[in-house]
Amino acid sequence: MVSSLISTWLAQVPTPEELQQQITLDSQVLGEQFYFFTVVIMWLIHVGFMSYEAGAARRKNVMSTAMKNILTIAVVTPTFYYFGWYIYGCFEEGWPKHGHSSPEVEGLDILVGFCQNTAPWAAQMGPNLQDHISAVFFLAFLLFSWTTGSIMSGALIERVRLSAYLILTALLGSVVWIMDAAWGWSAGGWLVTGFGFHDAIASCVVHGVAGAFTFGVLLNLGPRIGKYTTDGLARTFRGHNTHLTLMGLMLIFTGFYGFYAACLVIQSTIFPGWLNIYFSPTTLGAIAFVITIGFAGGFTGGWFASRGDPFWTLSGGLAGVISVSAGADVYHPSLAYLLSISGGMIAVWAGGYIEKQLRVDDAVGAVAVHGVCGFYGIFLVGIFAGGYPTGINNIPSSMGGQLMGALAFLPLAFLPGYAVSWILKRLNLLRVPPEVELEGLDMAEFQQDFYPEFERVPEIVIEPDGREVDGAPVLLDAYWQTTNGRAPTPVGAGAEERS
Amino acid sequence: MFDAFPYDEWSEDIADFWTFGGEGSTGTWILTVLGFAVMLIAFWGFVVLENRKLTHQADRLKASGALDRPGSGGTTTAGLGA
Repeated sequence: MVSSLISTWLAQVPTPEELQQQITLDSQVLGEQFYFFTVVIMWLIHVGFMSYEAGAARRKNVMSTAMKNILTIAVVTPTFYYFGWYIYGCFEEGWPKHGHSSPEVEGLDILVGFCQNTAPWAAQMGPNLQDHISAVFFLAFLLFSWTTGSIMSGALIERVRLSAYLILTALLGSVVWIMDAAWGWSAGGWLVTGFGFHDAIASCVVHGVAGAFTFGVLLNLGPRIGKYTTDGLARTFRGHNTHLTLMGLMLIFTGFYGFYAACLVIQSTIFPGWLNIYFSPTTLGAIAFVITIGFAGGFTGGWFASRGDPFWTLSGGLAGVISVSAGADVYHPSLAYLLSISGGMIAVWAGGYIEKQLRVDDAVGAVAVHGVCGFYGIFLVGIFAGGYPTGINNIPSSMGGQLMGALAFLPLAFLPGYAVSWILKRLNLLRVPPEVELEGLDMAEFQQDFYPEFERVPEIVIEPDGREVDGAPVLLDAYWQTTNGRAPTPVGAGAEERS
Repeated sequence: MFDAFPYDEWSEDIADFWTFGGEGSTGTWILTVLGFAVMLIAFWGFVVLENRKLTHQADRLKASGALDRPGSGGTTTAGLGA
């Protein structure tokens, strides 16, 4: 009897091979769940961007602003599926020199064949019982793509055509940013394997590049009617709901934890269990330290630099985190605190410079917060994390490598944004008619006011000297100047007289 | 495996279970091309439909005289909501 039970039990004991198979499957399913839930958390970034921008818009533009964020998902998702992911898989060497084989990097067998797995007709791009990772990994990158579009959308509000924005956001989200990710945010990217470029949690490859692209678009789009006086001084348009804006920013911050986590590669069967995007070891705790103290430092820097302005205090938090993201896998929390304070301050100063000196009307400070601090972040790695190994072949990160990344990404981002928005402008498809802008985009797009139960009150504009005045005469005067063929304030004009 | 799916053999035989065929099949190609084409048509639709709305509203506003300069047919601030 006993011997029978023992033999039955022994027959059920798994062999080492079976155990290995089970561990591998468990690890894959763990990875699948991990990326799935980072995607869920990252949705909050887009809830946040929608609320933030809708609150920053005037009442007459609230729904047209929100609709941009919603339709970002409608256009970036299919474009990223049909060609964006393929760009990431196949353009790591700048151009796919090895065709569908992907580059051959010593020690990186995983890359071989990655390119062909990213085409929309590949087995990895649909339901597949043997592959738990490709689909969720694709989705995490897709959410990064939406983020680049959302970074741009706020800057353009209240005068850009929805359709123009959708074309531009598809270009940014499914071509430009993912191309730079292939170059500098993958283990086989030429900037990584050749120069040790290090941007672990995407300071520049997401934020900096989106900011530079946005700057190119803003130069063609021009300021909102009435934004600048005839002397070139900046007026302030008060957003219709600051509470919504601040809540939106807090939601973005929450979603950032998912964003940060999704930037890591989970490998539960290999010590230490976590790798950064370059397959260098790190831990989830290490980056969680940096993001949290990065927000703290950013809020502090933003608060002091703006003298307590609520919008810039919260934007400073975002800027602080973006500034330390590139080195978040290796920074000590105290270093991250100090650097993020500087990032929060730089965003405020850069925002003021862009608005008042360059006269570029960035409605939410996206170029300063994401663009300037994104590039600032990769230079900080060159200074404070120089020598740290990057990638599977342990190439030391250096200021030279970071500079090479900046030199590659700046034109890669700026030129397409400028060129395509220039073409749309020439086709008269970039900006809404001035009459529609003056009345508000919601009436033209949706034929309704979205706060019907609230009485419409006169629009208030804040003059450069701080006086609050009735906006109607100011905006009408600016409109008349615009429709007479004389733009109220050409971008960049008048900077000489002030300086 | 000691706790594998009851249809373990099925899962090994059929890795990808796509509608209208597997990887690289004619059905998959047709679906991909159709999806891509619809995506492009959607872009075209976004541009055309919005342009129609904006043009209509701009024409209506100009015709109403609400935005005329003083002395050129009167002016009003109607429609300039916050």
